[in-house]
Amino acid sequence: MDKNILQVKDLVKYFPVRKFGKKQYVKAVDGLNFSIKDGEIFGVLGESGCGKTTLGRVINRLEHEQSGTIEFMGGTISGKEYRKDRHFRRRMQMIFQNPYDSFDPRVIIYKSMDLPMKINEIEPDGRKRLERIIETMNHAKLTPAESLLTRYPHELSGGQLQRISMIRSMLLNPKFLVADECVSMLDVSVRAGVLNLLLTIQKELKSSMLFITHDISVATYICQRIMVLYAGKIMEIASSDGILKNPLHPYSKALVSYSPTISKEEKMRYTITGEVVTPIDPPPGCRFASRCPIAKGECTEKEPELRYIGKDRQVACHFV
Amino acid sequence: MVVENQISLSRRENKLLKYARSYFSSVKGIVGFSLLLLFIFMAIFAPVIAPYSPDEMTDDVLKPPSAKHLFGTDHLGRDIYSRVVFGSRISLSVGFVAAGLSAVIGVLIGSFSGFYGGITDDIVSKIVDTFLMIPSFFLILIIVSIFGSNILYIMFVIGLTTWPGNARLMRAQALSIRERTFIMVARSTGESRIRILFGHVIPNGVFPVIANSALQMGGAILTEASLSFLGLGDPNLTSWGKLIFQGRPYMTFAPWMIIIPGIFVVLAVLAFSFIGDGLQFTFNPKNRKGE
Amino acid sequence: MPLLEMKNVNINYRLKNRQVRAVRDFTLDINEGDIVGVIGESGSGKSTLAHGLMRILPGNGYMEASTITLNGRDILNISDNEFRQLRWVEMSIVFQKAMSALSPVHKIFDQMYDAILAHKPETGKEEAIKKLEGLLSVVNLPRKALDMYPHELSGGMMQRVMISLGLIFNPKLVILDEVTTALDVITQGQLLDEVKRLVKEFGLTVMMITHDIGVVNELCTKIAILYAGELLEYGDVKDVIFRPLNPYTRALVESHPDLNPHGGGLRGIPGTLPDLSNPPEGCIFYDRCTCRLDRCREEKPELRDFNDRKVKCLRAGELNG
Repeated sequence: MDKNILQVKDLVKYFPVRKFGKKQYVKAVDGLNFSIKDGEIFGVLGESGCGKTTLGRVINRLEHEQSGTIEFMGGTISGKEYRKDRHFRRRMQMIFQNPYDSFDPRVIIYKSMDLPMKINEIEPDGRKRLERIIETMNHAKLTPAESLLTRYPHELSGGQLQRISMIRSMLLNPKFLVADECVSMLDVSVRAGVLNLLLTIQKELKSSMLFITHDISVATYICQRIMVLYAGKIMEIASSDGILKNPLHPYSKALVSYSPTISKEEKMRYTITGEVVTPIDPPPGCRFASRCPIAKGECTEKEPELRYIGKDRQVACHFV
Repeated sequence: MVVENQISLSRRENKLLKYARSYFSSVKGIVGFSLLLLFIFMAIFAPVIAPYSPDEMTDDVLKPPSAKHLFGTDHLGRDIYSRVVFGSRISLSVGFVAAGLSAVIGVLIGSFSGFYGGITDDIVSKIVDTFLMIPSFFLILIIVSIFGSNILYIMFVIGLTTWPGNARLMRAQALSIRERTFIMVARSTGESRIRILFGHVIPNGVFPVIANSALQMGGAILTEASLSFLGLGDPNLTSWGKLIFQGRPYMTFAPWMIIIPGIFVVLAVLAFSFIGDGLQFTFNPKNRKGE
Repeated sequence: MPLLEMKNVNINYRLKNRQVRAVRDFTLDINEGDIVGVIGESGSGKSTLAHGLMRILPGNGYMEASTITLNGRDILNISDNEFRQLRWVEMSIVFQKAMSALSPVHKIFDQMYDAILAHKPETGKEEAIKKLEGLLSVVNLPRKALDMYPHELSGGMMQRVMISLGLIFNPKLVILDEVTTALDVITQGQLLDEVKRLVKEFGLTVMMITHDIGVVNELCTKIAILYAGELLEYGDVKDVIFRPLNPYTRALVESHPDLNPHGGGLRGIPGTLPDLSNPPEGCIFYDRCTCRLDRCREEKPELRDFNDRKVKCLRAGELNG
């Protein structure tokens, strides 16, 4: 029990930017430490520019980190280590934000679904692969599967495409899924179906998941634990309930209080000012200090460490 | 599986049909395509169409167009109509081979450079830019005068000096395509880079190069004609440019010798440029809305 | 008398070989001081409606209606020229895409001044500066924003500039077209607070077009539910959200993931929008409705009054709450 499937240590990813000839760095992901338990759905919550997408891509090896290590299923995958594992791509799959663009527009759905299985040596026989695709699609209530398979991507709706995209990943039997804002481009009425399919897949495969989102309500619906990111740094890691009902970090408090909700009562705002700043060569101290309502002198000098507050809860703030 | 393949095949044809419909909805496209068909027909059935052998000399020297000789005769009494018909073979093959070569090189280098990015891209781009700066016609002149004017040389030299334009187009396409989600998906499902390059990047980005190649075919025909006009054409073959070159000394009193082949060069260039425009229209996603 | 009265508004788009009926028979009165949230998913015609009201439909779109009046004045049968006099002055619109609405090479002040000159050419520069400074302070922007270029502003600041641009001539009615959609949660919340304050200070009437029920719940007093071009329900926000009378409204609320979950997990709405070039004869939501009756297929429901609300459903009375 409670074995970690993924462990991230001091993960750092900078992007160089040139401004008036001066080379600076966007510190998109700046020293993250966290681990994901086997079978857990772990949420990454943050606003645009907090590094959540970069984090997903680094873990899925679409980008390479500057430093730090990532351990996955007992082995290391950081650096170029992941290439040693022939079945790495089978074990970890990613679902992307834009379903309309997730399929080669020139290829029918069937081919887009068949190729990953073929490449990853799931099943050598083409006929059996087709049978499995159809079976899985029927199971996910994407019917009639045969007719959907011969369509081109632009002939399907966003919800259909996103569900097919999930099934495409599922066919490889991954142990770990990275879902990057996978419902943010879908209509509300379609969203629920996609989220529920994601949960079903996760349960059936007994896999774990890194669920990246900007939407607290979606995160709390899906995830067991949530990590709040701000400008490349972890602000708080807690259970979904903990974040929602009792956020400890000022930024988490603000996020929860500013999220629109359907409730009868007027909600109290935890007022903060300003907007997200891209972390280009950020000053020392806490990243959130410039907007924080409880910031004091030391916040701009000393960076708060991510420390444990009780079991299973970590907060990076001097005053919690 | 067989069924699946058939379905996909018939659907692909549907898509081709859609492209064709869009292409033929423009007047330019229709005109260009008909002209090209006419030229290809001429080239293939030259022996049937031409009333005389192109090299057959008669006593009718420098005769103006008449019923006997449709486009008149030249200084050796050869039938210009027959010579133009046979000349289309040379001129068209120059166009196809040179532009084809240019497209293949351009697509390979451009897609490679754009897709791999980083230092590879920097170096390749600099090379492409260098090539773009070379005045290609003078390069062709130099090469032809050094290595002799075999038609094969001419084709290859034209192809080898015009690819940078295609490479640039393809690179831009590859740069934008590689950021698209389905490329990320391909990478995360473990497709190899080569497979992504040839399976996704090139097929999705090649259309502007195809359209550009049609334009380049016209350009290649023109370049070959210019070389021939300067007397640097293949001495053993008669292209349209060569016909103009031969007619030059007689142009004051036998203008048909240069006007007729000149018209054909113009028509061929026009045809290819119309086709290029038509293809550009077809491949531009903006023009496919509402379908 | 309602501030904005719309009767039987129809908006169609002409395509190559067919006609899409994007908005059909839309009838609604907006009273002075209301903040009406117009909710709908993509394809519901909510933006089309707003653009139709402002006469800024794309070339292939056209609008028909039996009545549209603003403040008692007919704005349906007036010429484009007359309408131009009134647009921006009497009613204005703020778009989602603030970035593309402003030219990147001109300073904010120049662009706002141009907008003023377009309607009141006699305005002097000094006067304009004074006015714009006042406006900016109203939306909580520093004065120096006037001398900045659009790319120097963040998304939220930009949207504030756009809103202040919409308020230049103190219009009675402001249409906010998905203004917070591209913004981050906190920025969105800050902007909503701003709008709330402006409504009070200026006595504005707002038509807020959005796809987010949560946003409507926080900002609006009234809510209009649009589906596939038809108005299905209209009423007080809390009434409609917590006691929906139309099955679509209920399904929409239930598929909305929320901070205060309603239990039983999320239920989506299976199925897709009907083809709007050939809308079905009966109820527009028939295909996807879980409470449908056989007669719903043929019989077109009318928009009926229900206490203070309007509902379009044959079974509206039965499904109370």
